[in-house]
Amino acid sequence: MTSQEVRRSKADELSVVRQPLPRRDQAEKIAGTTRYAGDVVHPGMLRAGLVRSPVPSARIVRRDAGEAVKVPGVVAVLFGEDVPHNEVWVDVPGQTIEVAPLKANMEILATDRVRFQGEPVALVIAETEEALTEASERVEVDYAEEPGVFDPELALADGAPPVHPQGNLLARWDIDAGDVGAAFESADLVVEGTYATQPVDHAYLEPEAGVGWLDDEGVLNLRVSTQVVQHYRDVARILGIPEARVRVIAPYVGGGFGGKEDMTVEPYLALAVWRTGREVRMEWSRPESLQARAKRHPMRMRYRTAARSDGTIIGQDIEITADSGAYAYLSALVLLYAAVHACGPYRTPNVRLRARCAYTNNPPTSAFRGFGGMQVVLGYESQIDEVARRLGLPPGEVRKRNSLVKGDVLPVGQVIETEVLLPQTIDAVLERAGPPPSGSGPRRAAGRAIASNLQSYGRLVWLNDAAAAWVGFEPDGSVRVRCGVQDLGGGQASSLAQIAGELLAVPADQIVVHFGDSALNPVAGTTTATRQLLMSGNAVHDATAALRDQVLGAVAADRGEPVESLRFSPGAVTGPGLRLPVPEALALCRRRNVPTEALGTFFGPKGVPVTRNLRSGRVFPDFTFGTHLCDVEVDLDTGQVRVLRYIAAHDVGRAINPLSVEGQISGAVVQGLGMALLEEVVLDEGINLTAGFFQYLVPTASDVPDIEVIVLESGEGMGPFGARGIGEPPIGPPLAAVANAIRDAVGTRPTILPITPERVLACLPSTRS
Amino acid sequence: MSPETVTITVNGSRRTATAGGHLSLLRWLREQAGVTDPKYGCGEGVCGACAVLVDGLPVASCIVLAAQVDGCEVTTAAGLRRPDGSPGPLQRAFHRSHAVQCGFCTPGMLVCATALLAEGRPLDRQEIREALHGNICRCTGYGPIVTAIEAAQHELAAGAEGGAEPS
Amino acid sequence: MYTRAFRYERADDLPAACAALRRHGEGARVLAGGQSLLPMINVGLAAPEVLVDISRVAEAREITARDGYLSIGALVTHRELIASEVARAAQPLLGAAAAHIGSARIRNRGTLGGSLAHSDPAAELPVVMTALGASYELTDGRAEREVRAEEFAITVFTTELQPDELLVAARVPVLGPGWGWSFREVSRRRGDFALASAAALVRTAGGILVEARLALGGVADRAVRLAAVEAALTGATRDEIAARVGPIEGISPVTDTGASAEYRRHLARVLAVQALEEACARSEGTVSGERGTVSGREQ
Repeated sequence: MTSQEVRRSKADELSVVRQPLPRRDQAEKIAGTTRYAGDVVHPGMLRAGLVRSPVPSARIVRRDAGEAVKVPGVVAVLFGEDVPHNEVWVDVPGQTIEVAPLKANMEILATDRVRFQGEPVALVIAETEEALTEASERVEVDYAEEPGVFDPELALADGAPPVHPQGNLLARWDIDAGDVGAAFESADLVVEGTYATQPVDHAYLEPEAGVGWLDDEGVLNLRVSTQVVQHYRDVARILGIPEARVRVIAPYVGGGFGGKEDMTVEPYLALAVWRTGREVRMEWSRPESLQARAKRHPMRMRYRTAARSDGTIIGQDIEITADSGAYAYLSALVLLYAAVHACGPYRTPNVRLRARCAYTNNPPTSAFRGFGGMQVVLGYESQIDEVARRLGLPPGEVRKRNSLVKGDVLPVGQVIETEVLLPQTIDAVLERAGPPPSGSGPRRAAGRAIASNLQSYGRLVWLNDAAAAWVGFEPDGSVRVRCGVQDLGGGQASSLAQIAGELLAVPADQIVVHFGDSALNPVAGTTTATRQLLMSGNAVHDATAALRDQVLGAVAADRGEPVESLRFSPGAVTGPGLRLPVPEALALCRRRNVPTEALGTFFGPKGVPVTRNLRSGRVFPDFTFGTHLCDVEVDLDTGQVRVLRYIAAHDVGRAINPLSVEGQISGAVVQGLGMALLEEVVLDEGINLTAGFFQYLVPTASDVPDIEVIVLESGEGMGPFGARGIGEPPIGPPLAAVANAIRDAVGTRPTILPITPERVLACLPSTRS
Repeated sequence: MSPETVTITVNGSRRTATAGGHLSLLRWLREQAGVTDPKYGCGEGVCGACAVLVDGLPVASCIVLAAQVDGCEVTTAAGLRRPDGSPGPLQRAFHRSHAVQCGFCTPGMLVCATALLAEGRPLDRQEIREALHGNICRCTGYGPIVTAIEAAQHELAAGAEGGAEPS
Repeated sequence: MYTRAFRYERADDLPAACAALRRHGEGARVLAGGQSLLPMINVGLAAPEVLVDISRVAEAREITARDGYLSIGALVTHRELIASEVARAAQPLLGAAAAHIGSARIRNRGTLGGSLAHSDPAAELPVVMTALGASYELTDGRAEREVRAEEFAITVFTTELQPDELLVAARVPVLGPGWGWSFREVSRRRGDFALASAAALVRTAGGILVEARLALGGVADRAVRLAAVEAALTGATRDEIAARVGPIEGISPVTDTGASAEYRRHLARVLAVQALEEACARSEGTVSGERGTVSGREQ
């Protein structure tokens, strides 16, 4: 059997995987003993903090720490000149020099220009938080404000102030497929819509934090809340020291969602440790995090959809403009995701797509769960909903009619290689939902709608993604897994234990997973892009399968039995007439010089790098499909919207841990509902007005109903045992499910997020007396 | 600065340490008393991550000064176990219901849920949701947490011993 | 992370607190529940040099009903106000409004005096006190004076309190049988600051509205009593209320990240009508339950 075949095992053959096992990390978290990055407090630890620009666009005229260093307890104040290599470079893939630099740079501490409110200018290191605060206020920085630009379309217009010297167009992607002109000519119906999504914040409950120190070898250690331990390489470059002399440890992270994918505290902690030689701690305050951390890309989307009278979509003409904020970060890739996902899970033979993203003096935007593939759900699902309405066809039927099937080709050229259960997810939510809701009173209107989506899992194929894992037996038969995976609470680490346990018939309490340490564990790559189950899951699977084969092979050779007749059973290697306790099998291996550990590397699917005109074929390994259903009630006097009911169905391929899968879906849906109805980073000429949890409104338990989850298992994902990724896919449909449901309730469609009560009132025929 | 020293009974142990006059109860617990399960989430009392019980009532420890609760009894999530150290009905329900993902909201949730259950009013799911509006969770979508509290409520009402009470 | 130091002084009683305020001058602030002040300090919106802590004094904690008045001590917490049988029997509007304040954690520490002295234009208790025609007892440690609720709040975060004065109690006239009450609020989420709120009290006889009190919050720099609307309602039946409440005059709502001024103005009328109608129904005995409903659900 090939690895791929082994991976896609039949569901009924699995005994550990697919069990709703509570995770071990949960017990510690419930007991309160988990030590997050900020929970390490030692006497004598230094404190580090940043002085940030209060203005969004300015030259720095003068910087002076003279008064600040006089504050008792201050150890040092660093500016850009004190940083050995004061720059990080970010790839801007697929672009030409005409559009943007192939790399975009950013300073660790700004020297002569600031480009967004909150940009770091100085690093203060002190003995106490109080001294840190006082000294920070005494660092003198004089800014000469310069005109800024705060709207991406304005930034792309002639005469806009350049945020960076090379101009404000950071990235563009174009798709031209088929003959869009002919499609629109021959269409029975053309639907036009303009949609806008807002910048939102990850609002993870654990703000950015970490501790740094030099160990006995003089290696710089950083124990930080991060999704990417590989940033040790960037830190090393910034300090100008060998990469092997930096180590990043990721403890359990209190929420990431993409916001801890870029470096946050790492470079500053590293500088403070490197400069002082002492243990240093850094914690960002919530207002600091809300103000200065990278946000989700706001997007303006103009859709023209051509359809036949039977609801078949024959063409899409799409324009997307995204705001990159002051620095590139991952903007080019986010825009790429938006472009590839922009037509949704539907066969679309004729497409013209133009996607742009522009620099502005707004806070930078970067990775956030869904990564550009989720904003466009508002566009394509609003459009198809409108097509169905205007043609008088059931929304589910229109989606099924257009649904991709295995073997279809996306406009970008990618072939769908796995089974698509989209129609089944539509049927599942409609069947579960039963009769539609009705308003609870004369001034209430109820509505129902569905929204479907596709979202990639696994990283872009030309990034040569890989993950490695080491699996080994202890002599007593317990198992150790070493894998650099970062655990954000989605069961990333414990899923690996389940996978190893499945193959070796070892119970969960006898498997330990060492994760998140760049020095001690094989690198597993980022916990982002819904990739960990695919990548580290497969790496652990392959390493464990190799280990299993090694041990069974040694026993087979020793006993003269065919290896196919042997298997691991709980506690023993078994076969016809054979039951050898595992410790004895391991001793046998040692006698025969057979290793009782294995290192496995899983390489992600490969492809050629994209060019600016996206027709290169495979972009992602695969996609996850789903459909959500939402019932709402609208208060016609106040415009308030209550979500009465929410059902989410996804094909997850194989649910490695069903409780984890449901948890991911439920959590992602609520984040999506938050973006649909409540959350907004409000910027006024680059000044953040929502830098506190009183103003930035995160959904609470009182704002959402129970999320009913339906899990379908096609068994055809590319992850271990046929799993698909599920972390990101459920976050997009709520945007459109809510908008479509309001359209159903009141007759007009909200097109701008968040859908505030005021915006709903504006949708109503005039009911105000 | 007045080096105010306070004595607070934390999870059953009397602790005396400086409060600097201005130190919040949260910072005092985490940095002076070494009790790190209450978390800093927002500093404004909105998110619930810092919730602890003061003389049995839940408070936002980030907006209470340690000096204000000198002499009081404080219970954190870590102190909600039974006297023998085993988890009570609420903790077991959180575990069974998968009510924990990243876990950062969990200590505050447990504290506030404990206080809610101690009020003794039977609550349905919607009432539990409304009572929890002051505890932000960004990971679970809340459903499993509500299920856990509902389950614990049933177990406590059915006459199990009060394992979720502060020790 | 941002951490501001300040000096701390605990007062043994209210007169000592007033003396401390005089001694420390401008850099001193009063700490009662701290649920408004401490968040502001934590995010850098306030930077006092000294906090004078009155949260442990023995006075100003009682709720008593006597001689037709309900007296509520300034240090009564919102939780205590909601739980008080004496308060509920005398005037359920108070507890119903207080139930909207923040979360249980906030209500366990926050005090009546603190809320009134902080004087946030969207706060619940100033609105109901204004509708009820309450008055406040103030002290500077040497002498007391009484100020009517409507005159106490001057503008945003500004009241009649002198730098060395403290609130001691609120005196609320008990309205007696025949009066119905209602409190209505719209916020983005439960427990958030009100975008707008309305407190109404209505006395009916034989299905006709005889007398009404109406105050709005969140639509001006302080709670406003709408005397013109009150006058226009005399003689109305419940069904006529909506038609008799015209455009709301005398308010000046603002735009912020929560809502626009126009939306607040719209809410002002919607909530005024809802509150008056519900108060009328309570007066007629057609709404059961002391606590009534808050955005459709009981607290």
